Amino acid sequence: MARELLNIKGLKVNIDDKEILKGLDLNINKGEIHIIMGPNGSGKSTLAYTLMGHPKYEITDGTIEFDGELINEMKADERAKKGIFLSFQYPEEIPGVTVEDFLRTAKTSVTGKMQGIMAFKKLLKEKMDLLEMKEEYASRYLNLGFSGGEKKKNEILQMSILEPKLAILDETDSGLDVDAIRIVAEGVKRIKDESRSILVITHYNKLLDYLEPDYIHILLDGKIVKTGGMELAKEIDEEGYENIKLRYSHI
Amino acid sequence: MITWKRIKLENFSFPKIYDYKKEFIRLEEELPLGIRLDKIYDTVDKTKINWLNTSEGNGLGKEFISFVNEFYNSGVSLYLERNSLIEKPIVVEFNMDKENPTVVDKNIIVAEPNSQATIVFDYSTDEGVEAFHNGFTEIHAGENSSLTIIKVQRMNDISQNFDTNIAYVKGEGKVNWITAELGSQISGSNFTTFLDEVASESNLSSIYLGDGHRKMDLSYSMIHKGPRSISNIESRGALMDNAKKVFRGNLDFKRGSRLAKGGEEEYVLLLDPTVKSDSIPALLCEEDDVQGEHAASAGQINENQLFYLMSRGLSEREAKKLIIEGAFRPVIDRIPLEELKQIIDSEIERRLVNA
Ligand SMILES: Nc1ncnc2c1ncn2[C@@H]1O[C@H](COP(=O)(O)OP(=O)(O)O)[C@@H](O)[C@H]1O
Ligand SMILES: [Mg+2]
Repeated sequence: MARELLNIKGLKVNIDDKEILKGLDLNINKGEIHIIMGPNGSGKSTLAYTLMGHPKYEITDGTIEFDGELINEMKADERAKKGIFLSFQYPEEIPGVTVEDFLRTAKTSVTGKMQGIMAFKKLLKEKMDLLEMKEEYASRYLNLGFSGGEKKKNEILQMSILEPKLAILDETDSGLDVDAIRIVAEGVKRIKDESRSILVITHYNKLLDYLEPDYIHILLDGKIVKTGGMELAKEIDEEGYENIKLRYSHI
Repeated sequence: MITWKRIKLENFSFPKIYDYKKEFIRLEEELPLGIRLDKIYDTVDKTKINWLNTSEGNGLGKEFISFVNEFYNSGVSLYLERNSLIEKPIVVEFNMDKENPTVVDKNIIVAEPNSQATIVFDYSTDEGVEAFHNGFTEIHAGENSSLTIIKVQRMNDISQNFDTNIAYVKGEGKVNWITAELGSQISGSNFTTFLDEVASESNLSSIYLGDGHRKMDLSYSMIHKGPRSISNIESRGALMDNAKKVFRGNLDFKRGSRLAKGGEEEYVLLLDPTVKSDSIPALLCEEDDVQGEHAASAGQINENQLFYLMSRGLSEREAKKLIIEGAFRPVIDRIPLEELKQIIDSEIERRLVNA
């Protein structure tokens, strides 16, 4: 079995004809946890959206291979079916659609198997309990009137139901209190196994302490300029991005 | 011959009307005492009908109403005695097929004071049948009565639908209309409510779906005559392909309607640039001391919402269907009949996902 899950080479991405990613390389093997850190506006969310297949993000150069297949042209739903999941930095609100109905539909689409109503209810309850979410959320409209923290937990709930091969978490920890960060981290660790990988975009070390990542990458101005271990997170924490920029931006 | 400019209906003439031979009243249990439900042509007590004042209100137009009065082949008369109440909805269903391709239904509902009922009218067709429906439903809601009338129109894309509904509401009486317009090639539907007395009330909730080459003319009028009368119109629609729709919502405050309140809100999702959507809200006031509000908005499906749903594995059509159903939800949730909600859901699904 190939170890490689995601292989990005020379990725360049435009939004409205403006180049945001400027030749990005990244490899993620099965079972690994990778972290991306970088200042605001450096292109982290752009990378996340591009991996998920947002139509507004135009790939002008480079390749994205997932599980041995070139996915540059794939639509978001096909990528989801292949096992990519994005926990959104700003999850959308969908009025009139309950969390439960939506997730059952999503699970049916992703697995290609009809989900029995009762069996799915049970699965959902189980996963919600683990995330310390109140049962009533299942019958609320998707993200409507949810607090920032509730939206993020709901993203992790979706991840644990859909069981992707690659979960991308875009600032899922932002705006969460310490308890919520712990719950989210535990949720992430539960789905990570030998074959599943995680890509986490974060500003905070708290989540890193829980997750014990394999690699940390620094993204500056649309490129990964440095890859290392936990010591990189410390370096950023202590010195701030201004110094980091001076040190690495020539790359 | 009739020409109807709004929906470009030109040189229209009524087709030949055949008998409707199928049963159309569905009763699961016996009606409680004090409630009489008959086929319109079986109504023995013609006097009951004759005292009705039907001179007011033109509905879709005199031609359509007088055609019904002359040629009706079906319909019900429902009479609710004072204080009578039926909890389970009464279901009237017309399924137009090869043998019964035309429905011209005349329905009369009389609710005496303090009575209460819910009536569902469901119009459907078999595939491939060029069906025709022209109906006229007349409601008299007595003091403090409460009626809920639900109309579901899900005829096929080669059929024609015309429907006039007029209600007269007495003091503190209440008429709730729920209408789901999901089908037919051409559809004209009119709901007019006269709020005749003190605190008469009416709510109209509508959903509509335009796909293919459907042309729709929806017109809803609330005519306030009574002081402190209350009305509310809430409409949610979605248009795609080459569908055309004209929506007219009228709030008409007549002299004497002091302290009356009326509101209308229309929200339509435009899924394709090829659709055409006109909204013409009108507010007429003969009294100063009234409150009338209207809001109409049209929007496209938000690209980010669509992407969010697709990122969870839903195809574009499934995602759109979910967003549309979500927009329709507040209206669908008002339908007190699980089975009917499902019929509506699967009709929307059939038109959006399997198309
Ligand atoms: N939808 C968009 N339209 C135009 N510009 C955008 C859009 N999204 C992001 N950008 C721009 O792209 C750059 C990178 O943004 P983003 O990927 O969100 O950064 P990060 O997530 O690292 O903060 C920023 O300069 C931002 O202004
Ligand atoms: Mg971001």
